[in-house]
Amino acid sequence: MSDALVQISNAVIEGRVKDIPSLTNTALSSGLTAKDILDKGLMPGMDVIGAEFKKGKKFVPEVLLSARTMQASLGILKPLLAQAGEKMAGKIIIGTVQGDLHDIGKSLVGMMLEGAGFEVKDLGRNVPPEKFVDAVKKEKPNIVAMSALLTTTMRSMGHTMTALKEAGLREMVKIMIGGAPVTVDFAKQIGADGYAANAPAASELAKKFINSN
Amino acid sequence: MRVNYQTNVTVQFQVLTDDQRQEIFRAALHVLEHTGIEVHNDEALAVLKAQGAWVDGTRARIPSYLVRRALASAPSSFTVYSREGNPDKNITIGPNCINYGPGPTCPNFRDPRTGERRKYMRRDARDVARVCDLLPNIDFVESLGTVSDVTIDLADVYEFAEMIANTGKPIVAWSYTIDTCRDIHQIAAAVAGGEAALRERPNYIFYAEPLSPLTSSQEAMDKLLYCSKHRIPIVYTPCPMCGGTAPTTSAGILVTAMCECLHGLVIAQAISPGTPFVMGGVVSIMDMLSAAFAYGAPELSLQSAALTEMARYVGLPMWSTAGVTDSKLVDEQAGIEGAVQILFAGLSGANLVHDVGMIESAMTGDLQMMTMSNEIIGYVKRILRGIEVTPETLATEVISEVGPGGNFLATEHTLAHFKDQFWFPTLMDRSCWAEWEAAGSLSMGDRVQVQINDVLDTHEPVPLGPEAQKQIDEILAKAEARYRT
Repeated sequence: MSDALVQISNAVIEGRVKDIPSLTNTALSSGLTAKDILDKGLMPGMDVIGAEFKKGKKFVPEVLLSARTMQASLGILKPLLAQAGEKMAGKIIIGTVQGDLHDIGKSLVGMMLEGAGFEVKDLGRNVPPEKFVDAVKKEKPNIVAMSALLTTTMRSMGHTMTALKEAGLREMVKIMIGGAPVTVDFAKQIGADGYAANAPAASELAKKFINSN
Repeated sequence: MRVNYQTNVTVQFQVLTDDQRQEIFRAALHVLEHTGIEVHNDEALAVLKAQGAWVDGTRARIPSYLVRRALASAPSSFTVYSREGNPDKNITIGPNCINYGPGPTCPNFRDPRTGERRKYMRRDARDVARVCDLLPNIDFVESLGTVSDVTIDLADVYEFAEMIANTGKPIVAWSYTIDTCRDIHQIAAAVAGGEAALRERPNYIFYAEPLSPLTSSQEAMDKLLYCSKHRIPIVYTPCPMCGGTAPTTSAGILVTAMCECLHGLVIAQAISPGTPFVMGGVVSIMDMLSAAFAYGAPELSLQSAALTEMARYVGLPMWSTAGVTDSKLVDEQAGIEGAVQILFAGLSGANLVHDVGMIESAMTGDLQMMTMSNEIIGYVKRILRGIEVTPETLATEVISEVGPGGNFLATEHTLAHFKDQFWFPTLMDRSCWAEWEAAGSLSMGDRVQVQINDVLDTHEPVPLGPEAQKQIDEILAKAEARYRT
């Protein structure tokens, strides 16, 4: 494992956002590919953070800082990855459903998914079914993730499912839902593919969806 | 004669100095003026603009003189009335008067008979109201849940209908939308004997929330506007968490919480000067491992107490929080978190202390938690009463009578005072081992359950008049018809 990659992993673990651009560029100059840097530098760093978080040794703000560090490096790597025809772990569309303005959980999930190597398109809050449909058509994601905090707005999840079915897009994606009042029973009820109780679980579920394809 | 002498009538408690309160208030005024609030409601924005706020799209920046004007007209006290006409069940919202009650909208309920955790049903609203009606330290009523076995969009109206029929204590109501807010108001008016009667003697308070940080949604504003126009007492308070939807530092959450309340106050007072308005909130932290709102955190008690002082500083009544645990059970954690919260809410002198009776971070309503908390409130109230120092209480005469080695048991002094001086537990057990064993070796949880069973089996609330019930049924039927179209 080259020294440059170890330095990049450590910068991710320590959340050193300021250092990562120069470390990334140095690594590229030394002949490492963007894919190498992603798989052998950034991801191992996030894996360590993930393990520490599970143990209760690292906390959400620290995980987010590490994720942002990784994103800062990915900003440089993405065009190179695209050039080389390399793909991210998967593409995910995420949003808080129609009528609901709560987004802190959704943003947390989005950042965790990015930290797990996914490309995440965040549609924001109060996202009507049509907007989800348009985004699926345009972005062709592997996964659609919906969030709601209110028992009333949960129903928008069902409406979005219907809209996707009617647009003939349901089979193209895996759908996961989450949010405080959401349950695994509700997910089954509306025909979603999965439910996650928190951001780490969402990350695991996303990986499972990709691997099962 | 004795001069220059001060006494404490009750226990004194203070988190902040007056200088600190002033700084926090000035910071809130600064944020309202410079950062502003996102208001997703055209009518509300128009009101703010007409008042003199700077409105740019949905962003409203509110100059401090508007806040001061609103505070000047807002009442610092008001009364909410029992529908039974029983003044003992009225609630006085006034400086330093404490009132405790449950909270709303848990999706789940722990069945009081079977202990099963299940979805909250219509009949639970009935049971919770009945238990609240009888428990002496519960002053106002909320349902502890969201009804799941009725038309889903009308869960709020059915819940209110059940509560008002099953308790004579004032209710704090909430609604999904402006339509159901209206339905609930009509039910309350029917029970009060008309809109005019209701306006004179309101029997409920309405609850709505801004969104943290610094936002008001379309629906929340609709409800605030409606309540202001009808002079329904309103609680317009946020549920922010430090590190997530509010700054990580406690002084910071006090600033944002104040802004989130005060912009609502400005609008309410602009529409209807003098309309009762309660500030406050559920101010806690984000648990940095689970990212969840930590109800049982000590920070909640500390920050709620400080926010209560801010409310008193600006002259508004305070909506505070206690009796709600993160535990999934009514266990040791629930006892600790509930007791500390109840004590500090009481010490702070908050006017409406809600959420008593919630477990699992407010995801499950639990009558055991509420009933146990009722006992804790009684316990705490005794402490809050403080110590009276008078010649009679100094007792030097009876001390002399009894003398060294004597006892005070049968003295006139003891007989005259013990019933008033001592708190008499209903649920806490002080018996000796043999007695306790003979009585069935009951735990606190067991004894709580016995009390719940007793209330559920025997307590009949004062019923509504048949005319009122008929009107309520009509309102529900109209709401159903409206939903179907």
